[in-house]
Amino acid sequence: MENLEDLKIMAEQWSNRGIEYLQKIPQDQLYAAVGVLLFTTVLLFLSIRLVRRTKSNTVLLSGLSGSGKTVLFYQLRDGSSHQGTVTSMEPNEGTFDLHSENAKKGKVKLVHLVDVPGHSRLRPKLEEFLPQAAAIVFVVDALEFLPNCRAASEYLYDILTNANVVKKKVPVLLCCNKTDKLTAHTKEFIRKQMEKEIEKLRASRSAVSTADIANDFTIGIEGEVFSFSHCCNKVTVAEASGLDGETVQIQDFIREHIKP
Amino acid sequence: MLEQLLIFTRGGLILWTCKEIGNALKGSPIDTLIRSCLLEERSGEVSFNYGAYTLKWTFHNDLGLVFVAVYQKILQLLYVDDLLSMVKQSFSEIYDPKRMRYDDFDETFRQLRVEAEARAEEMKRTKQVVKPLNGVKKQGQVSKEETKKSNGEKKDDEGKVSSVSNGNHKMEDDVANGKENSADNNNNNNNSVGVDVSKLAKLRSKGVRGRGGLRKADSIGSNKGSSKVEPPKKATKKNRVWDDAAAAPKQEEKLDFTDEHGDNGHVDVVAAADQGESMMDKEEVFSSDSESEDDDEPISDEKPEAKKKGWFSSVFQSITGKANLERTDLEPALKALKERLMTKNVAEEIAEKLCESVEASLEGKKLASFTRISSTVQGAMEEALIRILTPRRSIDIMRDVHAAKEQRRPYVVVFVGVNGVGKSTNLAKVAYWLQQHKVSVMMAACDTFRSGAVEQLRTHARRLQIPIFEKGYEKDPAVVAKEAIQEATRNGSDVVLVDTAGRMQDNEPLMRALSKLINLNKPDLVLFVGEALVGNDAVDQLSKFNQKLSDLSTSGSTRLIDGILLTKFDTIDDKVGAALSMVYISGAPVMFVGCGQSYTDLKKLNVKAIVKTLLK
Repeated sequence: MENLEDLKIMAEQWSNRGIEYLQKIPQDQLYAAVGVLLFTTVLLFLSIRLVRRTKSNTVLLSGLSGSGKTVLFYQLRDGSSHQGTVTSMEPNEGTFDLHSENAKKGKVKLVHLVDVPGHSRLRPKLEEFLPQAAAIVFVVDALEFLPNCRAASEYLYDILTNANVVKKKVPVLLCCNKTDKLTAHTKEFIRKQMEKEIEKLRASRSAVSTADIANDFTIGIEGEVFSFSHCCNKVTVAEASGLDGETVQIQDFIREHIKP
Repeated sequence: MLEQLLIFTRGGLILWTCKEIGNALKGSPIDTLIRSCLLEERSGEVSFNYGAYTLKWTFHNDLGLVFVAVYQKILQLLYVDDLLSMVKQSFSEIYDPKRMRYDDFDETFRQLRVEAEARAEEMKRTKQVVKPLNGVKKQGQVSKEETKKSNGEKKDDEGKVSSVSNGNHKMEDDVANGKENSADNNNNNNNSVGVDVSKLAKLRSKGVRGRGGLRKADSIGSNKGSSKVEPPKKATKKNRVWDDAAAAPKQEEKLDFTDEHGDNGHVDVVAAADQGESMMDKEEVFSSDSESEDDDEPISDEKPEAKKKGWFSSVFQSITGKANLERTDLEPALKALKERLMTKNVAEEIAEKLCESVEASLEGKKLASFTRISSTVQGAMEEALIRILTPRRSIDIMRDVHAAKEQRRPYVVVFVGVNGVGKSTNLAKVAYWLQQHKVSVMMAACDTFRSGAVEQLRTHARRLQIPIFEKGYEKDPAVVAKEAIQEATRNGSDVVLVDTAGRMQDNEPLMRALSKLINLNKPDLVLFVGEALVGNDAVDQLSKFNQKLSDLSTSGSTRLIDGILLTKFDTIDDKVGAALSMVYISGAPVMFVGCGQSYTDLKKLNVKAIVKTLLK
């Protein structure tokens, strides 16, 4: 009890002293000091907000030219591929709400979907979008897979060894498109073939130089045959059919990795 | 009649197709158009040929739309350009980015088409009424000029044709026949070739006609000249024997200086050359200079008054940022850019085509606020340059070598080029680089003409300690190459580097010999070696090489130049334009850059650095 009273008295004394002190200072200086204090606190708040970046909601649709990215983009956005597509010359971007059949808590998940052209001349466009990607869907043509296997594997290898992808551990979905056709390959076959090709690429690329100029990182474990499970970021395989509208697996993937 | 008219966005979505004439198109002309023309920065051209079709297009750069009309090549429809611009105008009125279906446009299109056809009919009728005689010739000329424009030939040919147009109707039939034949050949066209192979085939058929025409002109014009030259020349030089012609054995003996016993004297063991890491593997360190604004340089060649007005209005427009870019606005900026490119040693023709393409892509676009026209043009040109210099296919040679190794055959590279560009030197550099990466290399000395060529390669082979296959001089290079490849298969070499003699692109027998070598041996990579010092001749060299290779190819698959090796890069300071000219005209990527005369001076092309240097 005494302590409390002592404390009370001490607090009163301090507050008196403080008020006296404050009254001594000329008013202009006081206001200036208060103003500066307010300003800096506001700045601090803003910067903290920016730095503590809200998780990006960008999903990239990439893959070779002709694999069906633009069709998938329009399927996901509008539910139909309209009157068909031609080779894209520019990226398609769209921010929309993914229609969740099982409307979880009615939350609106705005997804920023970007369809990057697959033509090799437009490859630099992909590098523009990679820094802001939260998830990547790599579309592969399951119908014409074998002639394009090498090119597709090289593209995927470049994506998986990109600095942004490795550092942020961006999840990648290997999507086998055009599975509505009879002669389309299965996703297991495609996965195995691509793992084999990437293994070969790993051998030849690391043989080129000790200072790896072409790729920022190497993937996989030394001495073991490459498998997608060796990547530090998650790589999963799914099937889809752009023309039929069969995009459930892609939607699940997006919903899983893009949190509002 | 029109086969099809499409409207699609630059992002690839088809917005509208004409449903009345819903014929399915053979092949995929639209995709080919995009891949080999619009993305190759040739959008300044007038039309594009694919199989039996001709395609014409126009852009609406502001809304990002492309309008393409497809029609049969044999018909010369004069109203297509008109129709396209009318369609563009009326469609942009009803365009809405959210709308995906435009069925109501069918009606509008039908009316527009009727209008355009009527107008074309009128024009034709008026032309015919006024000058009946000239009209016939003009039709012939118009069709020729149209086909020529679609071939994209150089302008100097036009002069020759016009002089030979009198009574050329027979020739026209030949052209038509030639076109139909080439149309059949080109239905299986590889979409990946930047240079339209059908274009080359057409050039071949035109060449047949042209040569006939030329001969006529020559015979008419220069009869006097030739008769003067003939009498004095009596003692003719004995011709050099090339490959197949049977020569007198005495001659062969006299000229063959091959030393049967190897080098007499210098048999010292030369230590294996190990000069460290090839520059291919070192990271390129280039200083990041601050990008100086080009507007600091005064544009001195324009009139001061016009400049003041232009500057003021451009500043005003840059702030408001609402003006649509017109051709007149773009012209001065593009002209300045073209001049700058040409001072950096880009061929004049290429600079012109590039500027046209950039113009086509910027016309009608809205200026973003706070940007000047010149910076917009610069940005567009930079993008275009990066697009051209980015390789269309992977240039990972190591990967290809491994793939060939798996198939148990050697990977064959043939070095071709004109005289004195550095084929043998750079061949040795490539061999050194491959050797550093544990690939077994073999050299094949198929330069059997130049004195010392075989010795040169022998010295390199000794220093690098790699086997060399040689047969001495005065032998058929194609046969030597074939035997070299067999030898490589036998002793298990991974790569065979074939050195050929330098030859001028106009030299018919030599080009035929080269084509024979390539057809016989089917190499994996045909590498054109060009020096960075070359100017406008680069365009001529590459296009003629490609043309000859496709003309004289025997089997179905036409092998063109697959890659470019740029040499003597250290001798040019910042005049790097030759790289751009070569890549643009051939569509082949630059695989290596030679920058010195020692084994380590071989590096990869750094696209961003080159683009920065070009636009500085």
